[in-house]
Amino acid sequence: MKAIGKYTWIAYTSVRSSLAYWGEIAARTIFMAMILYIFMRLWTAVYEGAGAERLGGLSLKQMLWYLMITEAIVLSSPRVSVEVDEDVRTGRLAVQLLRPLSYALFLMAKTFGERAVRFTMNILSGSIVTLVLVGPIPMSLSGLAMFALIVPAAFALDFLAYLFIGLFAFWLESTAGLWILYSRLTMLLGGMLMPIEIFPDRLQPILRNLPFAMMVYGPARIFVAPNARTLLSIAVSQMWGLAAFSIAVYVIQNIALRRIQSNGG
Amino acid sequence: MPESLKNYLGLMAAYVRINLNAQLEYRGAFISEAVAMFVNDGSWVLFWVMFFHRFPALKGWNLQDVMTIWAVAAGSFGIAHALMGNGWHLPTIIVNGQLDLWMLYPRAVLPHLLLGRTMSTAWGDAAFGYAVYIALVRPDLAHFLMFVFLTVSVAALYVGFSVASASLGFFVGNAAALCEQWRFAVITFATYPQSLFSGLAKLALFTIVPAAFVSYIPVEALRMLSIRHVLASVFGAVVMLGIGSAMFYAGLRRYESGNLLSMHG
Repeated sequence: MKAIGKYTWIAYTSVRSSLAYWGEIAARTIFMAMILYIFMRLWTAVYEGAGAERLGGLSLKQMLWYLMITEAIVLSSPRVSVEVDEDVRTGRLAVQLLRPLSYALFLMAKTFGERAVRFTMNILSGSIVTLVLVGPIPMSLSGLAMFALIVPAAFALDFLAYLFIGLFAFWLESTAGLWILYSRLTMLLGGMLMPIEIFPDRLQPILRNLPFAMMVYGPARIFVAPNARTLLSIAVSQMWGLAAFSIAVYVIQNIALRRIQSNGG
Repeated sequence: MPESLKNYLGLMAAYVRINLNAQLEYRGAFISEAVAMFVNDGSWVLFWVMFFHRFPALKGWNLQDVMTIWAVAAGSFGIAHALMGNGWHLPTIIVNGQLDLWMLYPRAVLPHLLLGRTMSTAWGDAAFGYAVYIALVRPDLAHFLMFVFLTVSVAALYVGFSVASASLGFFVGNAAALCEQWRFAVITFATYPQSLFSGLAKLALFTIVPAAFVSYIPVEALRMLSIRHVLASVFGAVVMLGIGSAMFYAGLRRYESGNLLSMHG
């Protein structure tokens, strides 16, 4: 109980710290508005060109709301691997390990706090922009509850992936290449730019089973078209993903920590 | 004038060699970052391949046009910042008051400062632009020569724009976020078909967010082998360089030293 309180306090501190940077929040909002405007122009042209009411089972309005959610998720992602990389390279990790805290849980609490602020701001500003551009879509309380249920697991998966990459700093000169690669895979294969239903038919079953879809496509799809069966299928995949990622992080962290050499002075 | 140009080209060649050697001291990091940027750009191209697989035409633009957009935008951005990487870092240099070092040399401050660093990721961009154009667009000799000329011209425009956006820091205090958004706007709009935009948005793309000069004009030039569009591209580059230089030197008069001990080399 005491441990939970400790990590909750870290997350709370991170929330307060993130709220102090209004300039950064404003910059993200502007960027998001710009991206949504481009998407609006792009998908309006696509729907007009195809002469279709629905594409991938979504109307134009739903498509824009879907893209708003995927953007809000991806743009809120803190680059945990950069922090881990720095901790390893500067030797700060040795100091972190002296604290009566789990390094991974400390980072997780901090990241969740930071991400909660960014995601909320992105959703708020994105919703306003999308409302202005295309208007509202039907929403229900149960749909929003499903969305709220699925988002934390998506964030946890993303966090574990970044932590896994960051720990490679023990072996690589720089992990920047790896996180750029990971973030692009999330963007492309996770359905950030278009829903999985729009991808070529042969790719769809593969993409649905990759962890990227559980982080981006799943929550966005649930937001615009809530459905209990979809929710269950995504939640189960997320649980499998969390178990696999946790084991991977645990193993690599144990191997990595054996390489730490601490000298007094 | 020709003697001075020759002199600065010699300086550029020397700096490219020095900067590259400095980067290659951390060979693993340099290669992984350049490759990651190549993959990053590649993921966008892959998105467009899948997009056009589903929707073969977009307001008169096809896959080959979008490949050309990416080839020009990435290739020219890469050339600009591989040669003059400090252009990208200029906002931090100005805000931190780190210009003193560059003012001590018997060279014009701006070109010398710009040449002082390379960006590892820019090499990946440059390689990507040329690889995509040669492998996917498959040009004949005339198109290829025009492409080379246009990437150099657009690279000059990027340098001018980087300097102009960074110079806001002289006038608006910490303009890092504003500068970043302005730069992202140009890069983002430049990588989408310009036929999507009309009215005020289109006007903005030729003026305040000069993305049309990065993609629309060069693509039209290559589509029609049009000298008129090549001249328009050169005109855009010259104007942007002029605006960048004017803003930088006007701002330099307001510059206050950060009293920092800096080293270069």
